[in-house]
Amino acid sequence: MDILEKAVDRVLGGDRSAFQQIVDLTSQKLVRLGARIMGNQADAEDVVQEAYVKAYRALTAGEFDRRSSTNTWLYRIVVNGAIDAKRSRTRRAEASDEQIDPGWDGAARAEARLALAELDDWLRALPADQRAALVLQSMEGLNNSEIAQVMGVSEGAVEQRLVRARATLRQKREQS
Amino acid sequence: MSEQEDFEQRLSRLAGATDALRPSAGFSARVMLAIDAQAAPTFFETTWLSARRLLPVAAIAAAMAVVWAVQVDGAVDDTLAASYASVELE
Repeated sequence: MDILEKAVDRVLGGDRSAFQQIVDLTSQKLVRLGARIMGNQADAEDVVQEAYVKAYRALTAGEFDRRSSTNTWLYRIVVNGAIDAKRSRTRRAEASDEQIDPGWDGAARAEARLALAELDDWLRALPADQRAALVLQSMEGLNNSEIAQVMGVSEGAVEQRLVRARATLRQKREQS
Repeated sequence: MSEQEDFEQRLSRLAGATDALRPSAGFSARVMLAIDAQAAPTFFETTWLSARRLLPVAAIAAAMAVVWAVQVDGAVDDTLAASYASVELE
């Protein structure tokens, strides 16, 4: 059993501090996933924070049945939260430089921000669920079966979303 | 280079460029604060929980009060009936 699953065991056993370990182990990839779907880091952090609160509540209420891995389960909460937020929320201002981890290299940060802005501009035409499916496949490296598990839909529905997303982007490219 | 390759290459390039994204400083602490804020019961929840614990005691007390009231009522009726039936002799 890996460190993450052991930390989940400890939270299930009533050790609240073990949840901090879950956050430390997973927050980087969850914030990155959230940012790719939301299009900016500030909104992504809001979504991921809400996802962790939901996850903690579910763990302490005994609602996590462990039929999927903890990673997949957390991905699912973040993706669902991001899709809902994307449909309802207006874009927030980016976090100021003072809030950014000082350990993070400035050039890499600037490059990542530029890339995120380009990605957001490019994928803006897509509905939130299609955008999420495309990000999970082409940027997170998940296969259709894993995406179906994360999004709680059939593999056929995933395939349909991906085909539509690509068609929309191709159409957008031809128009420009 | 086909259009499809362009498409996948662009996604791949943007994936690589955003790989370095990480949470802002203090994110983990903010998450734990949010969890603590959610976990702490509100005044209403605390009062409701305390009241719920007292509910069985209150139910038993109410039942005992009804029994006592019926008994007292019966005793008063007997006393009144006895006084109507009696004849005062002087």
